[in-house]
Amino acid sequence: MSDIEYYRPHDLDEAVTFLARNGATTRILAGGTDLMIDRRAGTLNTDCLCDVSRLVELKRIEIIDDRLEIGAGVTMNEIVHSETIARFAPALKIAASQFAGNQIRNVATLGGNVAHCSPCGDTVPPLLIHDATAMVRSRSDERAVSLADMAGGPYHCTLGPSELITRFVLKPMTAEMTLTDFQKIGRRRALAISRLSMAVMARQEKDRSIAFIRFALGACTPTPHHFEAVESTLLGKIPTETLLWDVGGKLARQMRVITGRRPSAVYKEPAIAGLFVRILYPLVASSGKPVAP
Amino acid sequence: MRIHFNLNGKAIAVDAPVGTSALSLLRDYLGLKGTKEGCGIGECGACAIEVDGKAVNACLMFAAQLDGRTVLTVEGLETPSGLHPIQEAFRDHHAVQCGYCTPGLLMSTHALLAEKPHPDHDDINTAISGHLCRCTGYKNIVSAIEAAGKNPGGKN
Repeated sequence: MSDIEYYRPHDLDEAVTFLARNGATTRILAGGTDLMIDRRAGTLNTDCLCDVSRLVELKRIEIIDDRLEIGAGVTMNEIVHSETIARFAPALKIAASQFAGNQIRNVATLGGNVAHCSPCGDTVPPLLIHDATAMVRSRSDERAVSLADMAGGPYHCTLGPSELITRFVLKPMTAEMTLTDFQKIGRRRALAISRLSMAVMARQEKDRSIAFIRFALGACTPTPHHFEAVESTLLGKIPTETLLWDVGGKLARQMRVITGRRPSAVYKEPAIAGLFVRILYPLVASSGKPVAP
Repeated sequence: MRIHFNLNGKAIAVDAPVGTSALSLLRDYLGLKGTKEGCGIGECGACAIEVDGKAVNACLMFAAQLDGRTVLTVEGLETPSGLHPIQEAFRDHHAVQCGYCTPGLLMSTHALLAEKPHPDHDDINTAISGHLCRCTGYKNIVSAIEAAGKNPGGKN
């Protein structure tokens, strides 16, 4: 432990120059809330920490042309307090406001949560419904990486050792969206790691038929997923409670296909269907609650 | 490495390995035992301190991350004239039982009141949801924070 070096670049160019030379033996440090857990568990295994938490280039939140760009170094509480995100990516704001506890929200970053590639990363489903891509810098290159390609599996980030996520590019929510939300189930309201999480964004026509829908599921598959089958099933239909229970059941069975039948399925399959109906219920009725089938 | 920061109003420099936690730096290198270790994994909030005005868990921070920062611990609350008004409110509302969670809660309260001098119930719940009190004295803790918000100068 005493052999670890600490390097804090002054700007992005310094950071990627350092990573080009030392990336293979360096861990990138932002908020540190996950790395400190590794340190305590004895699994940090690195020669050097490169602290990118003070790089102003990673702190921007802005609309550029028709894109919403959120810096990788933006903290959860900075997301919570951003009017731009409240307007253009409200599900991400909800996820950030329910993220861990206040002390962790003050330091944990969006880039860190995504790069950690935890199946339970709560910011990933809300990013997926905005078709987000990560912009990744190295000394000589910048490339766009989809979130699906970022996570090679649980806690396995596919980025190269000399690469750094600088920002996320999202399709902003438009005013005609009818519903956008993020919901999760954990063992405790604050701090608990999500057992299940979902994000949705949808637009209904005047006849209530669904004209656009994006849906993503987190925490119960090895990597968070954007479920195209759910979207295509609902598209063009006028949602009813029966239809939602039906699609929620299908979603639970799809989850089982992806993960195999695990002991937790007895709990998770009905919970997935139930949370699915709950999050989409505003498409059926503007008030009230769904009833179990 | 040598870490330079402002601790409770004084500029200091201290040598510690990079892998040291901020919590260990305070307790073991600087002898400030007011900040407690509870779970050590960021779930209980006993180790909360203020860094640049924001409440953070010292157990989830590398000591090196404090370099160049302004840090406030529970030892920095009290003034020569006595307890800080937040501490008085905790005492007066019986918000301290075993006391282990108290230093962390005081720091989260201090950061909250600096940002929102008159917090409502939801603000308070949000600010302290990352703290566990195993004596379950939450009602009195919330009352104390409400009182501190209503009377920022203390009793006198």
